[in-house]
Amino acid sequence: MISGDNDNTTLTREAVLLRSAELIDAIPTALTEYRCPLCGGIFSDFAALESHYAEEHPGAASPTTALLSLNGRLCKVLIEPHWTLQRTLQFRLGLTGAKHMCDRGVCGSCTVIMDGRPVLACTILTVECEGHNIQTVEGIAADPRWKPLVDAYCKWDAMQCGYCTPGFLVSAKSLLDRNPNPTEEECREALSGNICICGTYPRHSQAILEAALKIARGE
Amino acid sequence: MADLAGVNGQRENFRVVGKPNLPGKLSYALATGIAKFGIDYVVPGMLEAKFLRSPYANAKVLSVDTSKAWKIPGVVDILTWEDEDIKKLNSFGESFGPQRAWLDDLADQEGAEVAVIVVAENEDICEEALRALDVEWEILPHITDALDGAREDAPVIRPQVREAPTFGAPSPDGPKNPPKRGNVAYANMVSGDIEAGFAEADHIAEYDMYMPAFASHMPNPSGSVAWWFDDPYTSGDGQSLRIEGAVREKRAIANMYGLPVEKTVQEGLFMGGKYCDWGLRKSQEITPLLAKRTGRPVRCVNTREETFDQIMCQRYMHLRVGFKNDGMITAIDDVSIADGGSWGSSSFGNVGDLTQGPFNSVKCPNISQRMQIVDTNRGLMYVSGQHCPFNWDSATMAIYLIAEELGLDPLDVAKYNLHGPDSKEDPRPVRSFDECLEEGRRLMNWDHHKAGTKTLPDGRKHGASFRYQMCPRHSFSSYNSRLELREGRVHLPTQGPLFGVYAVECNAMVVAEELGLEYDDVSIDFDHREEFTPVGGGSDGTTASAWVTKECANILKKQILEAAADEAENPPPPNMHGPMGGPPGPNPLKGYKPEELDMEGGRIIVKADPSKGLKLGDAVHRSVVATYAGKPPMALWTFGMGLRLDTMNTAFCEVAVDEETGEVEILEFGVVADPGKIMRLTSLESQIDQVMYFSQGCQLLEDFVYDKKTGVRLNSNMIDYKKPTILDVPPVHREFLETRSGNAAYGANGISHSLANTHLVIIAIHNAIGVWVDPPATPDAVLRALGKA
Ligand code: FES
Ligand code: FES
Repeated sequence: MISGDNDNTTLTREAVLLRSAELIDAIPTALTEYRCPLCGGIFSDFAALESHYAEEHPGAASPTTALLSLNGRLCKVLIEPHWTLQRTLQFRLGLTGAKHMCDRGVCGSCTVIMDGRPVLACTILTVECEGHNIQTVEGIAADPRWKPLVDAYCKWDAMQCGYCTPGFLVSAKSLLDRNPNPTEEECREALSGNICICGTYPRHSQAILEAALKIARGE
Repeated sequence: MADLAGVNGQRENFRVVGKPNLPGKLSYALATGIAKFGIDYVVPGMLEAKFLRSPYANAKVLSVDTSKAWKIPGVVDILTWEDEDIKKLNSFGESFGPQRAWLDDLADQEGAEVAVIVVAENEDICEEALRALDVEWEILPHITDALDGAREDAPVIRPQVREAPTFGAPSPDGPKNPPKRGNVAYANMVSGDIEAGFAEADHIAEYDMYMPAFASHMPNPSGSVAWWFDDPYTSGDGQSLRIEGAVREKRAIANMYGLPVEKTVQEGLFMGGKYCDWGLRKSQEITPLLAKRTGRPVRCVNTREETFDQIMCQRYMHLRVGFKNDGMITAIDDVSIADGGSWGSSSFGNVGDLTQGPFNSVKCPNISQRMQIVDTNRGLMYVSGQHCPFNWDSATMAIYLIAEELGLDPLDVAKYNLHGPDSKEDPRPVRSFDECLEEGRRLMNWDHHKAGTKTLPDGRKHGASFRYQMCPRHSFSSYNSRLELREGRVHLPTQGPLFGVYAVECNAMVVAEELGLEYDDVSIDFDHREEFTPVGGGSDGTTASAWVTKECANILKKQILEAAADEAENPPPPNMHGPMGGPPGPNPLKGYKPEELDMEGGRIIVKADPSKGLKLGDAVHRSVVATYAGKPPMALWTFGMGLRLDTMNTAFCEVAVDEETGEVEILEFGVVADPGKIMRLTSLESQIDQVMYFSQGCQLLEDFVYDKKTGVRLNSNMIDYKKPTILDVPPVHREFLETRSGNAAYGANGISHSLANTHLVIIAIHNAIGVWVDPPATPDAVLRALGKA
């Protein structure tokens, strides 16, 4: 059996924050095998995969590698050149916080922070991310400095189904990075690229303003 | 008329129930992205699957040649509708209407899954294989507007399906509906004497109304991943199935594949925003078969474009209302032409509406509702939505038309026409309604004006509107609740899942309330093997399941007190693995009967002297289990919403319309709701916000746009199909009443299916500019209505 990784006993506050840190630790930093995306064949190095491509799949666009700086860790991934960052996070790195809702840069569910700016992981290619610092929602959750923000989101029910929520939380964190003391209007402005179907909009400013206060007080 | 049935229905003091800001048990997982939804699962060695989807609005696949697709490296399996494995499949998901083969050669909407499934190493190869299929199509005539489909000369698009939908059909004693003709099935319901009612009227008002379709729009595109495994924990032949992404429908999947439920494992808890769109998509049903055939895990997910089903179908209505000079309605003739959707659509939103009509709530006995339900190629509607489904819009409209014609306040017209709590003949006032109305007047500074007569200081026109509905009794289904005391801690085991409301939390709050505990003292144990799943039954914390849990908690309490009294007399022998039996020193509960004891502050206490007591874990060492199965009494849905009236709600809207640009700004929404008893305040508030934003979206922004010539839907994506953003939404002022007159826990009722509405904003716009604009009231539609475009 392939073990399930949605162990429901570990969904409490402390366990979830710990799990975020574990997920980051579990990001593979080096490639140990090179799998052919076309036929599933496994090779021990990139050169072997490339020559397999030349022999077996001539004319097909061959996979490539990318070196990413993610949540403070450097990791090398084998990807296909057209893969978005969202796909790489989910399919190669086990990070599912950047959610796929619209898949075309409209909803903000896949928001990550790149070099301090919020960007949409569904519209940026993985290969373009090399040389940039990327922070995902897991990285924010694992950082104790941002606990007040996560706590406030949960206290204020800034989620119903919760699918859009990580994207909102990343946008909120990015706002507080730039502006630790935002007004309600500034919160709304910063979150205007995030769509929630479940009607949580008024909750977000409430949560962000409370978190900002707590962070300022060092709580 | 409060039932407040069951144990402690009359409870006066609440410590836990109703509290705001108690974090959801799964909120941390959601906020941090740890929560995995169906499409998030990626498992080693996984294959991907994709369906052939129709580029045509109505077509038949005459033949498919798969040979070129098979040659593509990475293609692992290809199935067609003619494969025996496919023919054997039968869907057990929730849908209505006549049965249809699970996959066939007919595509009756653009984008429909049809004829072929390919399985490959990845999605890109699937796409390539689908492009390599040689498909011979017979393109059939299509219909993308219900009015076109109802025409005598319209092509008959579904000749093979002759039955009319039956779910929610009028009573068998009523007049028979005419047989289906062409694309049109009929659902007619007539009561009283319509002609006499109109003859008696001093005035007759008429209105043509259009209700656009409204997208279901689950935030998470649907999909699943499945694999088979040798399961050491269950007996019986064969492997067990692990499936993720078909949450809540584990039983339906087990039935589909002939598996015992215990051999169908689904651990994931997160199903995303469903809002009563319960139907399983094919991508959620097919993966077990494909995994069985290939021996590998298989993932099949829909794209966003493929997850654009309808939650409210298009409808045209013609309303005729007769009324006296004092505003009393004497007759209503409500004629509608409703989209029945593509084959397999739900009958909610059309035939299912009639027995739940808003006209049930008025005194007038002369009601005619005649509906034509038209087959179209517009799209599929699964079950129903948070949207108010039961044509309450036409009642809202009737009240407004009367008020306009007679120069009355619509609030007064509504109050005058509403029948009493028990029946159309009941002259008594409905307390909940009166209180909602008065609170609404205050909340909104309500000052009704005639259409087109009020200009704001900035030159824009001001309009306001009002509507009412019921907070319905949601005890449609029953629940199996189980509670346990284990090692001093109370556990609420549940299968979950989480689907956009805080259901398990409300149940835990009730347990804490009844057992003298704090919310955090109750463990919610999520376990896919458990049966209790508080899904359905009202938004404010699934009030019906909480009623069942309340009964169960009281059974547990009785057993705990009996155990405490017994252990005080007969201390248990030391437990090898646990704390030594019995409290240190004399047991203060000794000598008391169970009925002399109570639970308070996490302790068992002596009622007569609360200073005497023991912590729960010290007083009871054995495990205690209680079960209860059932549902609260009298679900109004089962015999017609509106025939009895208990908990009500009112909604208000104020707009400013710029007659130069056509732009409509909703200045504010106001909602006064009486959910009977508030269970969990924060989520109740959010639920109200959500439905008001739904109302905003469907009246100002949303509609499906089709290319008439090809039948292709042009805006199945989140760029072209607009949802309100945080910058668009107006303030929503909310007030709650607690009349305790519902039937669920402590007199609570739900508010789902009761507030979203397609005409609240539209009426406010009419009140501002004096002309009607069909929704969605985009600036160009407003300018057209004003004769300026
Ligand atoms: S999924 Fe990336 S913006 Fe919507
Ligand atoms: S909480 Fe469901 S989409 Fe935002």
